[in-house]
Amino acid sequence: MLEIDNLKTNFNTYDGVVKALDGVNLKIKDGEIFGLVGETGSGKSVTCYSALKLLPKTGEIVDGSVKLNGEELTQASEERLREIRGGEIGIIFQDPLSALNPVMTINEQIGEILVLHQNVEIQKLAAEKEIPTYKSEKWKASPGVEFTIMAFCISFISLFVMLGQWRFSLPFFFVMLMLFFRDYVQKDNPASALDLMVIDALSRVKLPNPEQIAHSYPHELSGGMQQRVMIAMALAGKAKMLIADEPTTALDVTIQAQILQLIKDIQREENMSVLLITHDLGVVAETCERVAVMYKGKIVEEASVDEIFTNPKNEYTKGLLNAIPKGGKERLEVPNLEEVGTS
Amino acid sequence: MKEILTIKNLKKHFPVKNAWGTDVALVKALDGVDLKIESGKTFGIVGESGCGKTTLMRTLLRLVEPTSGSVILSEEIIGDEVSSNKLEELGSEELRSFRKQIGVVFQDPMGALNPRMLIKDIVSEPLVIHGKTGDVRARVVELLKNVGLGEEHLYRYPHEFSGGQRQRIVIARALALDPKILVLDEPTSALDVSVQAQILNLLNDLQKKYDLTYIFISHDLSVIEYMCDRLAVMYLGRVVEEADTEVLFSNPQHPYTKALLSATPSFDKNKEKIMILGDVPSPIIYLDESKAKLATEMTEQEKLEIEAIEGKGIDYIIRSSLNDVFPLVQISDGHYARVKQQ
Repeated sequence: MLEIDNLKTNFNTYDGVVKALDGVNLKIKDGEIFGLVGETGSGKSVTCYSALKLLPKTGEIVDGSVKLNGEELTQASEERLREIRGGEIGIIFQDPLSALNPVMTINEQIGEILVLHQNVEIQKLAAEKEIPTYKSEKWKASPGVEFTIMAFCISFISLFVMLGQWRFSLPFFFVMLMLFFRDYVQKDNPASALDLMVIDALSRVKLPNPEQIAHSYPHELSGGMQQRVMIAMALAGKAKMLIADEPTTALDVTIQAQILQLIKDIQREENMSVLLITHDLGVVAETCERVAVMYKGKIVEEASVDEIFTNPKNEYTKGLLNAIPKGGKERLEVPNLEEVGTS
Repeated sequence: MKEILTIKNLKKHFPVKNAWGTDVALVKALDGVDLKIESGKTFGIVGESGCGKTTLMRTLLRLVEPTSGSVILSEEIIGDEVSSNKLEELGSEELRSFRKQIGVVFQDPMGALNPRMLIKDIVSEPLVIHGKTGDVRARVVELLKNVGLGEEHLYRYPHEFSGGQRQRIVIARALALDPKILVLDEPTSALDVSVQAQILNLLNDLQKKYDLTYIFISHDLSVIEYMCDRLAVMYLGRVVEEADTEVLFSNPQHPYTKALLSATPSFDKNKEKIMILGDVPSPIIYLDESKAKLATEMTEQEKLEIEAIEGKGIDYIIRSSLNDVFPLVQISDGHYARVKQQ
């Protein structure tokens, strides 16, 4: 599915060049959950951003290739990349509240993705059910007509006010109010094709009352619900692959268990590939099939989950596993990071 | 067993006001907490965000005034010259001397250190405030050596240090006045596992060296299990279970504790799985009696999640069933839980 080969990414800073990635090799197969573990600054997130070419201006890919189903991404055009991000590859970030736009409703945010990546399906659904495509069109005149009505109203109001006969301007006020609050006056708003697809996307992530949630703002939802909305957004473009960058770090353990279960369920239902980036080895043990450990921009060990926890080969992996408190009261072993070799 | 602090029926209710300024509801951040904190041991407090852990810590430091209840201080921390041994009755001078005995380490070390102060000023500030004269510099160097830093770090700014080193500086500052109690509010949750291991080892060494009492607040159960001698699990402003760490981990009684222990990711594949379904209920209690009670029927989300989980061999607990409050029952010696009595 995704094949990263000898990827090298540098960041140019005032203090010189930082080699964030120093030859990363990864292969993620169809329909597997792959874990990428490492500490802060080891290059886990940079790997994901380099693969999608989402690096800031100071970062550049100096060497290596990223292939999605055989298609080279490092050479791809910006337009093709825009199709891939959100289309073939969905992304979930760590903090849902800062990844969601606070002044847009959930409906608008998921709708945006659907219009960009699923436009054909929306048109098809609208034609099939004979409903409006994007927004309900009942009562709605074209912008030009609306503007003209408004202009007439304003000129009549000012005319009557100037003549000292303000009572006659009241009907025009009423017309203007109706135009402004059209959405509230219209009760029997027929759902558009876009609305239906948003609701469908929300019910896929097991959110209750999707109609109600679609019309709420991100701050009105709890942390777990926000992360579910993020997952719904990542999947809205019919993604084949999901990149989850620390999806549960900001959540409580009980909610974390729910979200991980959801990711596992969706992965199984849709047979997606998932790249799970995390610093928590416990999360990897519970969800992933294969795992790679990163340290200083390199992959130091890659193995199946069972093997890495029972029989770690690399010194750094051993150190990392020993540093986790495990029941007993004996002194924790601190990995000596200077001695760790990268092989 | 010698208690250093005894918390009796402590309550802290924050009022919720409407647009006219009249109280319409209460946020019951602490709703009757009883705890005894033993001298020289580590007492752990766990719970999810919003359960009142941090409010409890702030009330213990009297940074917020409790609504009712009391904190009884032992002679060990306030001496016998004070007018009262109850925290809420201390005068401002007595409160100052009490605060000397209690050090605090917060979650985010960068937020706790002033970015424009040198390390020597940061660590010596408590000494200056409490009028400690003499060789302040020598004392600062001694404190830094205690936490594994050195004299060469005196004239540096916080941004020049790594996350783990910053947390060491915060610990050094907390220990500046030789406190008896150290309150640790999620001291390692912003750190990587290898750095976390260093800080936990350091805390254990310091506890042995100075005979400190720790109040350790965390949501990471593996850290709690490693550090604490006794443990209280909080849920919606109440202590739902309290026991020695080994007892609690081997024999959890309250359904929330069971779910919490099982939800912690671990390497053990055969571990019993209990999922907790639904969202955290709101701690807002309306004064209007018709809305006062928390709902105990299932919410829509819980029904959906039950559907999703059925037939997968996973046990579950429904969140709204936890809203019923039962009295604290003694399970065994020193093990209390709020469970339904048979």
